[in-house]
Amino acid sequence: MISARFAQVLRSGRDHFNKRFAAARHSDPQLDWETFTRFLADVVDPLVQAVDLAAPEHTADFATHAYDVGLELATLRLIGTAAKNRAVEAAWQRALPPAARLVAAHPRRALAAISNAAHQLAVNGSTRHAEWVSTVAQLAPQSANLDDWLKVGEVAAWRAGLAHYRSSALTLCETLTEPLALAAVGAPSHASWPKVRAELLANPWHDPANPHPATALRVTRQAGGFRGFGREFSERPVVVAQGEHFVATSGDTSWVLIADAFGATLHRATEDEQAVLQPVSLSAGKVSATGTRVVTGDGEIDLGEFGPITSVAANGTTIAVTAQLTYAVVLIARPGK
Amino acid sequence: MEMPMGLPKVFQRVSQTPTNPHAAQTARIFDVADLYRTPVSQGPEVSATSTVPLDEKLRQAYFWIVNTAIISPHYDIEYNEAPPQSFVIGDSKGLLTLPSAQSYSSYVLLPLLTFATRRKCLFIGGPGRGKTASAILMGVIAGYPVREVRRAMQHGQPQMTIADLLGNPLPADLVQAQKMEDIRISWRSWLSMRVKIIDEYNRIPTRTQSALLTVMGDNYAEVLNHIFECPESAWFLTANDDRGGGTYQVIEALRDRIDVVVQALAFNPRFLRDLLMRIEENIRPEDVVPPQIVFTEAEVDRLQEEIRAITVPTEVRRRLEFFISQFELCESAGAQFEYKTKDTARLAGVDPGTLSAQDTGRDRLKDLGCQTTNGLSVRAMMTLLVYAKAMSYFRGNQAIELEDLRQVLPFVLHDKLTPDIEAPFFDAAGNSAYRTDRIGWQRRLFDLACAEYDRLDLDRDDPVATLELEFDRGLDGLTESETRTRLAKIERLIGEWAKGRKLYGHLYDDLLKLKYLHQRYTNYLRWLKTQ
Repeated sequence: MISARFAQVLRSGRDHFNKRFAAARHSDPQLDWETFTRFLADVVDPLVQAVDLAAPEHTADFATHAYDVGLELATLRLIGTAAKNRAVEAAWQRALPPAARLVAAHPRRALAAISNAAHQLAVNGSTRHAEWVSTVAQLAPQSANLDDWLKVGEVAAWRAGLAHYRSSALTLCETLTEPLALAAVGAPSHASWPKVRAELLANPWHDPANPHPATALRVTRQAGGFRGFGREFSERPVVVAQGEHFVATSGDTSWVLIADAFGATLHRATEDEQAVLQPVSLSAGKVSATGTRVVTGDGEIDLGEFGPITSVAANGTTIAVTAQLTYAVVLIARPGK
Repeated sequence: MEMPMGLPKVFQRVSQTPTNPHAAQTARIFDVADLYRTPVSQGPEVSATSTVPLDEKLRQAYFWIVNTAIISPHYDIEYNEAPPQSFVIGDSKGLLTLPSAQSYSSYVLLPLLTFATRRKCLFIGGPGRGKTASAILMGVIAGYPVREVRRAMQHGQPQMTIADLLGNPLPADLVQAQKMEDIRISWRSWLSMRVKIIDEYNRIPTRTQSALLTVMGDNYAEVLNHIFECPESAWFLTANDDRGGGTYQVIEALRDRIDVVVQALAFNPRFLRDLLMRIEENIRPEDVVPPQIVFTEAEVDRLQEEIRAITVPTEVRRRLEFFISQFELCESAGAQFEYKTKDTARLAGVDPGTLSAQDTGRDRLKDLGCQTTNGLSVRAMMTLLVYAKAMSYFRGNQAIELEDLRQVLPFVLHDKLTPDIEAPFFDAAGNSAYRTDRIGWQRRLFDLACAEYDRLDLDRDDPVATLELEFDRGLDGLTESETRTRLAKIERLIGEWAKGRKLYGHLYDDLLKLKYLHQRYTNYLRWLKTQ
């Protein structure tokens, strides 16, 4: 059963809604009416009700756009039984209702943005989609308008594991109010934004929610994995440093590796990036590897569980290591200075 | 602003992935705004601030039209990365090719390139084939509401007057005015639009065609000594019959102003299901053009600049020069060397084809010039270069490739290069179809010219190019003896060529170029002597 309000909107635009579905089914004959109506009832209807409570003057327009975006998601197989995951539906159900007041007047933009972000996080296997949904839902009441809320969503996506957005997200925080910027990066409300920002810029392994600097080398993350398990590498990779990032090479393919306290992402290297790769080595500046041990001026660490080390690369904050018993790149945070 | 109700978004989907991906050349930048960009469109308020490169936007527009608006596209602009699969089919041994690279539909691409370069495109083809609908789409892509585009469209008809076309003097002023300047003109609104559509232009009376010529050619309209300056715009004209079957004969100058001609090819009934859906759902493509592919005026300005910046490599330019050289020579048309042209014969009221047939000694099958009754105008050459640049730009390249030139050439020269269907070429085995298929004929003509260029090995051995290069270095500081040496070199070359060689079009132009160089050196030598 759907609510009386949503039913009224659907009834009043029946001809249009039916035409739209027919047009969509024309370009996608596999489009399933039952799946779509279930989405309307289970996901769109509660949202329409939330908007009706927050901004009743926008209900009809919002419902129309929700129908359209839902139809587009259905043809893209991002909702319903044909979807690979429930990320988009979960975002509509949990992130959007608390933001009903913000999204009511700009339904197309808001629904598309939240759907796209949920999808991007879901297809990147190493992110924490639920954490992102929870953050954006939690910070909706603090956001003054849709723009601010969407910015919070972008910062939250970085913190949910999309490490490559770090620099861009930090720039975006500058456009938010201090309380919202602190909340978006997970810092305590009494903290100072300039200080938090400086710490984040100085050390990718700094987490404002847990601001105690490490005093010794520690394995923080493993990035990538065997292609047979749905990951990136067909052969065990080797790693080299490139600027502030790393490049992992497996077989003929190289990947740019970007990592920080919140996640690690791999991006297929361009020809230009592959053309300037450093030679693979077991030492990098003052960092060297012997057997299963990594030795640096800051101390040493034994990576016995990963087997003998095959390559090592380092920059000022991070050491990246590959070894014989893993298909992942092991990332070690250097102690904060 | 949100999308209005009633616009089916699934019809408005624009390719989100690069339409013709090229390797990134700049440092990698990760923008967190990408998080929200795909796969679902965020609507016009976000699209308006989009930073999509304009060539990509142009391709998005092309693919939206091909995949959504046009039901039955024909991929007649073929590109290949590897040798294509080809099949010989039918008694006429027709060749069906399956291109190995991204290929395009001329009916969509050429109008779009016309829009991007603000040129003039003529749609030809039988009634009801979507010529007008395609022209309207171009108006919508330029940002005009559908209703405005429809209202501004000029419909050619036998009673169309100059006032219908351009505007009327205000009746009150006509009565009260003491001087012509006092009469105000109510100009027609289409004159100020950046996309101008003339439907069935061959039904416009000859006198009104002349007024249209002023607008098309010189970009202004004149009524009672009052002038209206039109903005630079793209023109789309339609004609059911381009071979003079309209109500009025189109004046030649007007035809000459048209830059490209595209033919609306036949509808493939295998796509009838899509047509049926169009009827049932009552969807018109022009009503659902996605905002992401609508160009602002400033964007079209930028498009033109970026297209102009596409470079033309020397080796491509040389082949074009060689091709163009084939057509103007008519050896028996003039006694003086410079006047041995088809244009001389034409101005004298003599059919150049008849004169060419009297030429002896040359192989009339091999001589490409024998296939046409005219040469190419400067306007046609400029248009050819502009469209070749636009094609290259559309494909995401920085420089024209020979294939870009080969593909746009027949659409630009469609009405510019007239075949002499009495020429032996058209009687040769397998060539009879070229009498009716101008596109195929001109492409073949270009291929034959390129083959001849290769046979003569002009990429490596082109003495005129060498002399030209020498001259381009400048005359400053050139000594008298060096000048004399160069003059002797030119005379020696002409002497060699004069020994028993037949005069073909390219040789004729080379000789005139040598004469030019000789004259420049002669003048320089004369000046040197006065110093």
